[in-house]
Amino acid sequence: MTGNGGAPHALRADQVWFSYRNRDWVLRHVSLAIPAGKHTVIMGPSGTGKTTLLRVLAGILKPSAGSVSVLGQPTHELTARQLSSLVGYIPQQLGLVRNLSALDNVLMGALGRIGDAKAVFGLFPRQEIDKAQAALDMMGIAHKASQQVFHMSGGERQRVAIARTLLQHPRIVIADEFASDLDLALASEILARIRRAAERESITFIMSMHRIGLARQFGDEVLALRHGELAPGFIGNEILESRAEATL
Amino acid sequence: MRSTLALPLTTGVFLLAVLAHLGFFDMERLTRGFRNLGIIGAELVPPDFAILPAVGAALWETVEMSFAGTLLGFLASLPLSICSTRRLFSSWTSGFARFIAAGIRTIPVLLWAIIFVILLGLGPLAGTFGIAAYTVGYLAKIYADLFEGTDPEIMEAVQSTGASKLQLVRFVILPEAANAVLAQVLFMLEYNIRASSVLGFVGAGGLGFVIQIYLQSLDYRRLATVLLLVLVIVLAMDAISAWARKRFLLSAQAS
Repeated sequence: MTGNGGAPHALRADQVWFSYRNRDWVLRHVSLAIPAGKHTVIMGPSGTGKTTLLRVLAGILKPSAGSVSVLGQPTHELTARQLSSLVGYIPQQLGLVRNLSALDNVLMGALGRIGDAKAVFGLFPRQEIDKAQAALDMMGIAHKASQQVFHMSGGERQRVAIARTLLQHPRIVIADEFASDLDLALASEILARIRRAAERESITFIMSMHRIGLARQFGDEVLALRHGELAPGFIGNEILESRAEATL
Repeated sequence: MRSTLALPLTTGVFLLAVLAHLGFFDMERLTRGFRNLGIIGAELVPPDFAILPAVGAALWETVEMSFAGTLLGFLASLPLSICSTRRLFSSWTSGFARFIAAGIRTIPVLLWAIIFVILLGLGPLAGTFGIAAYTVGYLAKIYADLFEGTDPEIMEAVQSTGASKLQLVRFVILPEAANAVLAQVLFMLEYNIRASSVLGFVGAGGLGFVIQIYLQSLDYRRLATVLLLVLVIVLAMDAISAWARKRFLLSAQAS
């Protein structure tokens, strides 16, 4: 478990166990506490349970045992809309709707605040449209607002996904293998933009990634997951310094 | 070796038995059939185009019935297929919706036309409802399966923004399935053009009534003209479908 000197934790997991099938454990007694405003990177080999851990932390999967709390509130006590105002989630393949424009995809971040009747007819308030355009601008792709996601490059899609999550106004953003498909220079540029946006909006970021260089650039703290367990010997920034590449 | 030959041998013997039962080896009957085919083929040509003005109205009625029936059926199939989607609704709700769609689908289009002729009387209105009913059953099943195949990652990502079920349908399910939805409705329209050309057999309007008269009076030259007209309409529909696919569906060469 990470310490935080008594400051409030953005996200906390206590003795979390998870299995998709009976007693076939993907996560085992995972306990962690993510400090508010910090950026945490979760690293680990493929198939080690990183995606499952992030989905449990995001409240998409319910832990088989143990509990997860966001800003002190247990996730199982929150409604989907309450949870969406606290946590934004970006899956590995980004979860964008290819047939819709970048702006439409970003506006989906506001769905939790829009009534069904207005949303069904695509009647978003002017204020939300302005915010969506500002989020695209912050990501450097305001000029692509009307372009279909289907016709966008991988890097542009990553920025659309981040802009959508920013419009959600969450306190925490959880992203799975973000920027892992991009070349190093582009991934580095996008992560720098995310850091600036996160600092401006006071957002806590939790990302899984497998590139040490990017983790060093982005993460304030690094957690290592192996065989569904947090590896205590490798928690902390020392993972970046020495044994990480050899071990992971 | 024995086991590898057993299945093809058994299948072959079964197939031969079935063909014999169906009369495929009744050579006298088959020869007579081929002879009749030659006679009818000769009587079909040349087509009698003098009837074109007379059958024009029936042809237009067939096209109207197909368009209106397909559109009505398409609109009705959307809510039914959405309710059939297990990812959005409980197994009870989706199971009930699927049961209704299966029930509608069980009845062939000609029988639907008869039912609506009984309910609404003779004419194209009955035919239009018959086509709409069949379209609902078919499209509801296809669309429900399509909607269920929506990428779960996209559903999760948008659900995590706090989107409601209705918003998921509007912003994820329908846009993601848009290509296939359009392709299926175009296919259905083409199918309904052909199907509606025989609904007149049971008094449900369109070309079918004219076809029936020419068949009963053995007037094959005029029948050939009507069949050519149906072919022209189907080819025109093919061209319209191809244009719509090119105009509205995503190309496969995006990055």
